[in-house]
Amino acid sequence: MEEKEEEVVVDGGGDAFVLRQLQDSIDSNPNDSLPHLNLGLILWKEESKEIREKAAEHFLIAAKLNPHNGTAFRYLGHYYSRVSIDYQRALKCYQRAVTLSPDDSESGEALCDMLDGGGKESLEVAVCSEASDKSPRAFWAFRRLGFLQIHQKKWSEAVPSLQHSIRGYPTCADLWEALGLAYQRLGMFTAAIKSYGRAIELEGSRVFPLVESGNINLMLGSFRKGVEQFQQALQISPQNLSAHYGLASALLGLSKECTSSGAFKWGASLLEEASNVAKASTCLAGNVSCIWKLNGDIQLAYATCLPWTEEGWELETDDEAFRTSIISWKRTCHSAAVSACSSYQRALHLAPWQANIYTDIAIASDLICSLKECFKQDHNAWQLPEKMSLGGLLLEGDNSEFWVLLGCLCDHSALKQHAFIRGLQIDVSLAISWAYLGKLYGEEGERQLARQAFDRARSIDPSLALPWAGMSADIYARELTPDEAYESCLRAVQILPLAEFQIGLAKLALLSDHLSSSQVFGAIRQAMQRAPYYPESHNLNGLVCEARFDYQSAAVSYRLARSAISTFAGNVPKSHLRDISINLARTLCMAGNALDAVKECEELNKEGLLDSEGLQIYAVSLWKLGKNDLVLSVANDLTASALSMKQPSRDASVTLICRLLYYISGLESAVICILKMPKELFQSSKISFVLSAIHALDQSNRLLSVVSRSRIFLASPEETTRMHFLIALSKLVKHGSEECLGIQSGVKHLRKVLHMYPNSDLIRNLLGYLQLSSKEWKDTHIASRCFIISPSGCLEEEGLKSAYEILGAGAVACYTTQNYKMKFSFPTCECQCLHGTRAIRQLQKLLHQEPWNHNARYLLIINYIQKAREERFPQYQCDLLRRLINVALSCQLYSKKDKSSQYHMSQLLLCASEISLQGGDHIGCINYAKNATGLLLSDNYLFFAHLQLCRAYAAEGKLSSLHEEYIRCLELKTDYPIGWICLKFIESQYGLQTELNLLELCFENCSKEIKSSLNVWMAVFSLAQGLIAIWTKDFLHAEELLARPCSLAGAESCLFFCHGVICMELARQLCDSQFVSLAIRSLKKAKETSVDALPIVSVLLGQAEASLGSKVKWEKNLPLEWFSWPPEMRPAELFMQMHLLSIQGSVSSDSSSSVEFCQSPQSWILRAIHLNPSCLRYWKVLQKFMGVTSGM
Amino acid sequence: MKLAGLKSVDNAHDDSVWTATWVPATDERPALLLTGSLDETVRVWSPDELTNVATNTGHCLGVVSVAAHPSGVIAASASLDSFVRVFDVDHNNTIATLEAPPSEVWHMQFDPKGTTLAVAGGGSASVKLWDTAEWKLIASLSIPRPEGSKSSDKSGNKKFVLSVAWSPDGKRLACGSMDGTISVFDVSRAKFLHHLEGHFMPVRSLVYSPVDPKILFSASDDAHVHVYDAEGKSLINALSGHSSWVLSVDASPDGAAIATGSSDKSVKLWDLKMRTAVQTLSSHTDQVWAVAFRPPGGTGVRAGRLASVSDDKSISLYDYS
Repeated sequence: MEEKEEEVVVDGGGDAFVLRQLQDSIDSNPNDSLPHLNLGLILWKEESKEIREKAAEHFLIAAKLNPHNGTAFRYLGHYYSRVSIDYQRALKCYQRAVTLSPDDSESGEALCDMLDGGGKESLEVAVCSEASDKSPRAFWAFRRLGFLQIHQKKWSEAVPSLQHSIRGYPTCADLWEALGLAYQRLGMFTAAIKSYGRAIELEGSRVFPLVESGNINLMLGSFRKGVEQFQQALQISPQNLSAHYGLASALLGLSKECTSSGAFKWGASLLEEASNVAKASTCLAGNVSCIWKLNGDIQLAYATCLPWTEEGWELETDDEAFRTSIISWKRTCHSAAVSACSSYQRALHLAPWQANIYTDIAIASDLICSLKECFKQDHNAWQLPEKMSLGGLLLEGDNSEFWVLLGCLCDHSALKQHAFIRGLQIDVSLAISWAYLGKLYGEEGERQLARQAFDRARSIDPSLALPWAGMSADIYARELTPDEAYESCLRAVQILPLAEFQIGLAKLALLSDHLSSSQVFGAIRQAMQRAPYYPESHNLNGLVCEARFDYQSAAVSYRLARSAISTFAGNVPKSHLRDISINLARTLCMAGNALDAVKECEELNKEGLLDSEGLQIYAVSLWKLGKNDLVLSVANDLTASALSMKQPSRDASVTLICRLLYYISGLESAVICILKMPKELFQSSKISFVLSAIHALDQSNRLLSVVSRSRIFLASPEETTRMHFLIALSKLVKHGSEECLGIQSGVKHLRKVLHMYPNSDLIRNLLGYLQLSSKEWKDTHIASRCFIISPSGCLEEEGLKSAYEILGAGAVACYTTQNYKMKFSFPTCECQCLHGTRAIRQLQKLLHQEPWNHNARYLLIINYIQKAREERFPQYQCDLLRRLINVALSCQLYSKKDKSSQYHMSQLLLCASEISLQGGDHIGCINYAKNATGLLLSDNYLFFAHLQLCRAYAAEGKLSSLHEEYIRCLELKTDYPIGWICLKFIESQYGLQTELNLLELCFENCSKEIKSSLNVWMAVFSLAQGLIAIWTKDFLHAEELLARPCSLAGAESCLFFCHGVICMELARQLCDSQFVSLAIRSLKKAKETSVDALPIVSVLLGQAEASLGSKVKWEKNLPLEWFSWPPEMRPAELFMQMHLLSIQGSVSSDSSSSVEFCQSPQSWILRAIHLNPSCLRYWKVLQKFMGVTSGM
Repeated sequence: MKLAGLKSVDNAHDDSVWTATWVPATDERPALLLTGSLDETVRVWSPDELTNVATNTGHCLGVVSVAAHPSGVIAASASLDSFVRVFDVDHNNTIATLEAPPSEVWHMQFDPKGTTLAVAGGGSASVKLWDTAEWKLIASLSIPRPEGSKSSDKSGNKKFVLSVAWSPDGKRLACGSMDGTISVFDVSRAKFLHHLEGHFMPVRSLVYSPVDPKILFSASDDAHVHVYDAEGKSLINALSGHSSWVLSVDASPDGAAIATGSSDKSVKLWDLKMRTAVQTLSSHTDQVWAVAFRPPGGTGVRAGRLASVSDDKSISLYDYS
């Protein structure tokens, strides 16, 4: 009530008028306190002392008149504290005001400030808690209380006070900050981070919350966030010591994270940054022990994580460069360690009571020693590391970790053992101590004890790397398989990327065949960064590279390994050097650098270190260089020593000898030599393959007994199928003639094998391939059925051709497998392919998986052109094909001169030429075709290039050139009947007939080579001739020609169809019923043999039978005709025929089920006219029909 | 950290689904999923019901890659015949058609600011950069040939570039090749920096960590996922677990996990701290060609989503939490 009136007055106040009015109301009603108060408030606004004294008088009166009005007391308080400076009175007035209205923040704050100034903290607390108890809206009291509780470190009490006061002052950054601090101290870190975050949000320039939330993040291990926050704090306050310290330790934490995951370079770069920050903070405050310790930690971490990099050096050629690069790397590490040591010393100097700094110094000086490689001469004298760690122990003798450290750093094994055991006495579950104890026992040869210690350590703390590594090192004593040892060492490496572990891992990988694994690669690369002076790390890196087929890098590594031996290793057994040299020779040989490989081998030979593996490499390299005489002498050496070799290397030697003999001295002498060799050498499956291959080429079968004996050693079904593969190929060679492979006998063999091993993809693919290579009529269909495309499509297939290639080639070879849409053509072939329409999709899948696969691209192109041809070459498909072909043609692969790339090239050129022809670009067409004629191919294929030229010239109308090309075709000749048939069409269309019917002769010659499907080709040729006769309107001759194929190839509906049609035409022209019955016979056959209903056959058959008087059969056939058309393609005439049928009215009786036929005759006519309005006949029928119906 | 299956659409396309990406949310609509398939279409799906919002046709061969602009307004799709179609996601208007010789367009990605489209240039052994304002080719970052080999050398073919990734700060570009090497480029200077070694089979997918521009994840046919320090050119970690080719990798928006899709028909979720696969999902019945985490953003959308697409024609959507 009072407050409100006060406001009204204040709003309109300052006016002389208001003053007078108030004076009046005081005069009229002197016992009312309100006008006094209001007058006082107006007067109080003036700054001058006199007027304020006046105001105070009014306040005094008001307070006296109404002692429950807090406002008057507040202003009195103001008056006593500010104007008349009477603190006692002021205190009392404020106290009164607060007691009257606890929400009065102004008096409350003023009161507390006064109490605070007087140092009366407990009174202050009492005032605030009283006010906060009285009213929940006394936010000022909660705030004050919260701050006081924070000040008194009463964290848990402060939290509710602060939370409550934040409701009153939600945007007060101080409150959020204080709340954050309280949470932080209570260990509620996420809540603390949130509160600090709010404080930073409200006031971006606050350093404290940034630093503190950074510290919390460090504690929680989120170093990245910590770094960000400390950097932000430093931007605001660049001199802030705790931000510096925090940033440096955050960077150190982050770098340790990197180092432990193996990112040494990254870790080192972070440490460089950290070191700069730490140095800056030592400049800010040089007398803080912990900053020096942090600096020491950073330097020490830097010394242990800085990687050696091989960049910028020509290391493999220059031993000296390699040496200096390692020495300079070592020097950097050394100086970092020295600086760490001196930092620790400063820290210790400042705080000599801190035991852990003694141990830090011990560790740093141990590192310095190891980097300097100072050999400890006097074993009795105290070494520095040992001494310093004892210093730590003297201060804190019950610290078990100090004991472990002493054990690690001292030299005497007895003392070591004592120290570790001492550590365990203090804490029996100290895993690290058990682990080191295990290591110590291992070094002393106490295998049993070592094992127990390691096992104990592992069971206490499985996240410790050393026990795992110890377990894998103990591979033989524990009877581990190499795989198990590898796994446990891998675990050690993943926990701690230490060079020693990593080198061990690579060694175990060699044993367990994991060398190409990524983990080993990563590990050995990291080992090289940290132990570049150790020859084995380079040697193993070489082996890893070799396992990944990177021979160049492998050779470099082996050379580095050799330089490392000569510079750093001191005394190394010769066998070690020999192993590396043999590795080098082998990898050089694999990389194609036979010359250097030979040099290496010869040097080894000089020192007498060339063993059997070396000899093999020597022989292969010499052979690559073409020094055949030397190879043979080496081979003789190998043969001589082969019997004394152990198993795997004996096999390798024998297979190598056999192959070299074959390559160098040819089949004859290879066979003779093999027969001379002792039979005991041929006792392995690998040798059996080599022998079988040589045997396959030997027509006189001299090796038969040797081969059959060696085949006993084939063990797995896989080996057996591979041998069958080889046998099938050998049958091709042995049963074939000079020019032609015996494909059928190979196929026969493979069929038998497939029966035994139905799941062998190898056999299936070869069978498919052979079927495709055969020229018999239906083999391409069979080919597409015999292979399986693995559904997930991982294309790791061996053998000559993959399933995809057979699919692609088969789909092109057999047109019917490609029928994409019924609207373009009707298949007449009875062989239906299962995945025919999928060929293009499958090939796209292949191309998607292997986009670099040129063969896939090629197959896609030729399949796509079949599709385009079927769809009559639509523009967009031509564009696509043109682009695809252009890329394929520009591919460098086809510039090779071997037969298959030339063949692919010619096919692509012909495709390009065809696309140009279809697009009306005759010149392009001719150019492409001419290019194709220039390829190095047999006449068989060149024929088709000239055939294409014939077509191009014909299209352009250049008859003389056409004639030339035609003659050229006749000269070249081809084995492919289809070529002759095409030529026949051109010949007759352009009147190119030569004397003697040369073409027919050629055709007959070529088809003689095809045995079982000769008739089919003869039939097709006759068909072509018949069609030509029809063009020349010589129908009788055409009938004669077309009758022939019907008798030759019994199962082809299309042939019967053609014959039926020509008979019908003849019957119409000659009005001869004999032809009608011939037509009926052929058309019936056509209907029987075709798989799908062929259009036109039924309607013709119906007409033929109707003309012989059977109307019923016509009525039956017409609906069949209706269904043989795809709906969108039915011709107008068919509707007309249906009209006729519906007039008969009988159709509804037998096919009433079909709604399609229930239409009126009129609608049939209308639909026919709709489809073809230009046909006058339909209009006439309509007219007539309308006349009839209207007449009715 | 786990994935929970939300929805799976069988026969989402008529044939193998090869690629998927999320189109970021705009002011009007939430994020959408974009998929491309061998059936020559690109389809747009709205989460979480995976309803087919639109089907875009126009490619002549299978669609190998889709990429979405960070604004969420436009996207690009590329097919085996190497036409890149840039279109308006909401209306399917063609904005531009970029042409390259076939085999020279493989994976694509827009840079984080959306000013450049990087296209893995397949057989050209380079990455092509297209300006997104005028749709012009602005740069071609070529992988240098190893010393001593001639330009006509056939080994150029081995550098067939399959995959491309932008670092989150847009300064670096990494591309993966068929021979297993990864090349890192400095984009502003258009300069090749170095190779990352470790894979020895094709690298089909690359992605940078969204929280650290140094960390690069790579998926390869050698069945491993590698974690690289792309600046320090060192292999930090090799994750093994897939039994066949790893075809796709994507990093979760919080940077704590990655997901992979593989020829072994599984989708795996990997915890980067623990360095192991924490979950293996085998709902697909054929190889999984793409996995994609939904980018954060959009009104009221906080939940993580992962989509995977496969040769079995299906799309699966998971909740990531």
